[in-house]
Formats: sequence, C-alpha cells, structure tokens
Amino acid sequence: MGLAQNVVFGLVTGSYIAVAAVGFTLIYGINDMINFAYGEYMTIGAYVGLLVGFFLPAGPVVSILLVIAVSAVAGWLVARVFFIPIKDTGPVPLLLTSIGVGYILRYLIQGIAGPDLRFFEFQQSQTFRTEALGGVFVNTNQLTIIGIAVLVFGVTHLLLTRTDVGLAMRALSKNNDLARVSGVPIDNIQRYVWLLASGLAGLSGYLIGIQRAASPFMGFNQILIVLTAAILGGAGSAYGAIAGSYIIGVVMATSVGVLPSWATELSTAVAFAVLIVVLLVRPGGIASAEVREA
Amino acid sequence: MSGGYVSRVNVGWVGVGLVVLALAILLSPFVPDVPRATLFLFENAVTYLLFGLLILGLNLHYGWAGLINFGHVVFFAVGSYTAALLTVQDPLTGVGLGLPWPVGVGGGVLAAVVVGALLGVSTLRLRGDFLAVVTLASAEIFNQVVISLEGITGGETGLLGVPQPINDLAGGNPSTVLVTTVLLLAGLLAVVYAAITRLTGSPYGRVLRAIDDDDQVTQALGKDVFSYKLNTFIYGAAIAGFAGTLHAMYIGAVSPAFYTVEVTVVLWIGMLLAGAGNNRAVLGGLAVVELVRIGTRFLNDTFPGAAYQFASFRFIVLGVLLVAVIRYKPEGIWGDADRQGVGTE
Repeated sequence: MGLAQNVVFGLVTGSYIAVAAVGFTLIYGINDMINFAYGEYMTIGAYVGLLVGFFLPAGPVVSILLVIAVSAVAGWLVARVFFIPIKDTGPVPLLLTSIGVGYILRYLIQGIAGPDLRFFEFQQSQTFRTEALGGVFVNTNQLTIIGIAVLVFGVTHLLLTRTDVGLAMRALSKNNDLARVSGVPIDNIQRYVWLLASGLAGLSGYLIGIQRAASPFMGFNQILIVLTAAILGGAGSAYGAIAGSYIIGVVMATSVGVLPSWATELSTAVAFAVLIVVLLVRPGGIASAEVREA
Repeated sequence: MSGGYVSRVNVGWVGVGLVVLALAILLSPFVPDVPRATLFLFENAVTYLLFGLLILGLNLHYGWAGLINFGHVVFFAVGSYTAALLTVQDPLTGVGLGLPWPVGVGGGVLAAVVVGALLGVSTLRLRGDFLAVVTLASAEIFNQVVISLEGITGGETGLLGVPQPINDLAGGNPSTVLVTTVLLLAGLLAVVYAAITRLTGSPYGRVLRAIDDDDQVTQALGKDVFSYKLNTFIYGAAIAGFAGTLHAMYIGAVSPAFYTVEVTVVLWIGMLLAGAGNNRAVLGGLAVVELVRIGTRFLNDTFPGAAYQFASFRFIVLGVLLVAVIRYKPEGIWGDADRQGVGTE
C-alpha cells in the first residue's frame, strides 16, 4: 500500500486519538492528574454505543449524542467516587488510584460483557476510490470519524474561548492559585471538566468501536497512545493534544508501511519510542508545558 | 540503631548459611522427603521469595528514593528473557545460544541494568509521575514486542528448554528440587535484604530519604540528586533482573504470560499495604497479598459464573485493594506515620 493510503489511515487514527487526547489533557491541566483509567472511559463509550444501538435503534446523530451524554455522567460518577475525594493529595496518589480504578473498570466490563469482540451495526459503509497518488481508498465510516473529530475540535474551541466556563477552565489550567483567588468556582469547573473529558473519551471509544469493534481491553490498548499524544502536544494543552494525536496517528500508520511484516503489530511500540524521544529532547512537547521538577 | 545493625549482618550470614545448606543437600545423596500434600506450599513459597526480591528493589525505588516505578515487572522480564535467549539449546521456535547457565544469569542482570539506565536517564529529571508513565508503558511494550518477535522469542508460547541447574543436580526429584529451591531463594533473599538494609542504613540511605522529602534542598546541600536517583533505580532493576534469571531457570521456560502488569500491581499493593520505606514490612505486606491471592484461588469451586468472570473477580479484588490502601491507609500498616506514605510529595 502506498504512502498516501497510510496517511489516510493515520488521519483516521489521529482523529479518534485526538478526541480522547483533548479530554485527557484537560484533566491533566486542571486536576494535575495522569488518569490511567481514561482508557476505560473510552471503553465505556463503546459499550454504551452497543447498548444504545441494541435498545433504541435511533439514527447515528441521536446515538452519538446519547453516547456522549451517558459516558459523561458515567465518567463523572467514577471520578466522584474515586478521584474527587482525594484530589488534594497530589498527583501521585491520583495516578496510583487511577491505575487501580482502571483495573476495576476493565475487569468489571469483562465480567459483565464477556471477553469477546462485539461488532457495531453502524451505517452501511460505502467506499470511494481514486487512482491518483498510487491508488487511495476511503470509506464513509472513515470520513464520518474524521468529520466528527473536526466538529468536536470546533465545538471545544468555541467552548474554551467563548464561554465563561471555558475561560475558567483555561484559567485554572494556567494558574490554579490565581484562578482560585479570582473567585473561579473551582469545584463546579472541575465537575464540568470531568463531564466534558468523560464525554469525549466515550465518543472516542464509540468511534473506535465503529471502525473496529468493542472489547473490554480496547481502551487500555489505546491509553498509552492517547497519553503519548497528549505529552507530545504539551501536557495540558488542548490544541497541542490535537496536533500530537495526528502526528502520532500518521507516524504509526506510515511506520506500518515501512517496517518489515513481522513488526506491523508494533505500532504501539512505535508510539512509545516517540514518547521516549520527546521526553529526552523536548519534555514540554509542542506547547512547551512545564514538566520538569518545579 | 546499633542493635539493629548487628541483627542485619546476622541476616546476611543466615542467608549464606541457607545457600550452603541448599548446595549441600543437592551435592549429597540425601533426598528430603516431603509429604506430597505440602508440595503446593513450597511452590507458593518459591513465588513469594522471587517476588520478595522484586519488592525489596521496588521499595528501594519508591519507599526510599520516592521513584514511582510502575513497571517493575519489565526488569524481571528482561532478566528472564535474556537468560533464556543466552542459554536455551536448539529451541523449536525462537533463538537460543546454548551458552552455560552462569552466562545467562550474568547477561540477564546486565540487560536489566541497561534497560534501567535507559529508562532512568530519559525520565528521572522530569516530574515524578512521568517515570510512572514510562515504566508502566515499557512493561506493556515489552510484552507486545515479545509476542510480535515470534522468530526470536517464541511469541505467545515463549522459549522452552532453559537450563535448570537445580533440577539437574537433584536428578529431577521434584521434592528435592522444591526444598532446595526454597532454601536457596530464601538464602539469596536474606543476603539481598541484608545488603539493602546495610545500604539504606548508611549515609547513602539518608540521602535517599532526603531526596524523597525534598530534592531541591538536597541538591542545594551539594548532593548530585540525579545520579543518586539513577544509581538507586539501577540497583533495583539489577535485583529484579537477577530474580528474573532465577525464575527462568526454576521454571525452565519463559513466556509473556508470566510477566504481566499484574505482577507490578501485586508488588505495589504489598508495599503500600505494609508501609513503603520499611524493608522488613514490605516482605510482610507481600505475604498478606499472596495469601489473598492463594485464598481467592480456592473460591473457584464455589464461584457462581463462568471462568472468565472468576478471573475478572480476582483482578477486581486486587484493584479495590490498591485503591483502598491509597485512600484509607496511605502510610501502610507498619509504615512511619510521620512520613505519611503516598500523600507526601
């Protein structure tokens, strides 16, 4: 397959990674927390999508809105039980707790839904093909995923720049203490961030489900990539996370074209190599976030 | 603390004594006769002692120097796989160089040191949670790479036919193998324990404590914080790599299924439950977690539901334990209340 085709695949991967990475980086920016349970937040979205498709066969638009809403509330509830009560203990207990919570959610999902792959009945997929650039094809599912991602970036951008809540989120992310003394209602804003981030994670999981299938470990398999994208973009920066995601997506997809056949399963390892290089060369990522010890 | 110091030295000599005893049994015609019903106790003891080596290294990382290593299993795995690749003779799948087993032990430790140095150099200057990210990631990636490189590592199956020196000396008698393995590992664990308590009880250990409390102040006092962190990280990695080579040569095989994130989770729960930073306590904490794991295994017969649901249930128990310890008892059962465990940053 040609380079152009792999770039198309990379853009699709970059799209659902970016949707998740924006939420991941918002949680990092505002709660100072690397959330390892975030992969399970994505898995929740995929299974919510399955349930929605099973019980109320609505159109894709309604399904997607339902997935976002239910995942948002579910993610917030998890945070309410496990993370918010210990939010003042610092980044390390939060990180360790999130590893435990990820474990609990992952195996809870496996215990209830079973370990098998489950496939979606989304829309009938139609493939477009061009002979330009050495033969490239793209199907409607892939175009839908890219389109939804772009729409999400637009809405998130408007939310962060044009609304009071969004302004408060950015203020909190930039300087927690200053925002606090300026009268930003921190608890409320943190709740909105959890809702927003969980909704984005759920949507991302749903998009992965459409593209491939749902399984209990699907989110866990993506979390390292999401995290790498967020760090590459500069932890805490939403725009950086989007850029980082597309870079990771395209690098992973094109590396599959370049690497020998036995190494094609190693795309996560490629993402990890990128992470190590970023941490060595420019740990602040594209947006130059401060990650060295204070 | 001079009294404690004397007892630490004694632990080391007890360890040497146990190793000598194990060798004496192996080299003599004496066959220890152990009731068949108790063999599973010895098998669990082997796992416990190997994990004991791991937890002492992890505790050196986190409990003493405050390094959040959430991928300790990767050093264990690297040690095992290196030993296997160096020593296996004519494997059905994968690569084996067929070298003598001491080369495997040395190579395994060396490989773990190299991986530890690489991970350490790239992350120990960053915020503490980035080390957790990179170590956790490296453990995942290691498994993925091992499964992918089927032509070298044997993929999902792994490598069979790793030399088993104890098994050979014991003439294949299972009860001699188990008894001497337990004695040998207990001896090695005691020696490592003595060495680590010696290290942490020395001025070196006080510097590590100081780094954990406030590394800027420590740096300002003229200590090279980064090199202390890096060296400590490498010591723990080397012990884990050593444990990995022992594991490979006890089982006689390596397989990715032995080296999952579950190992790391068990170690962390054991360490936090007992109280990080207390070398003796973490061994107790590990015993508690191992007992829980063995105990839940017996519930299998009475568990209503499918096998995968029972497996899920056991993992959920581990996750709940981890979350609960961090939340309700961050300093651990035997931990130093002044140090407040995980909450101090």
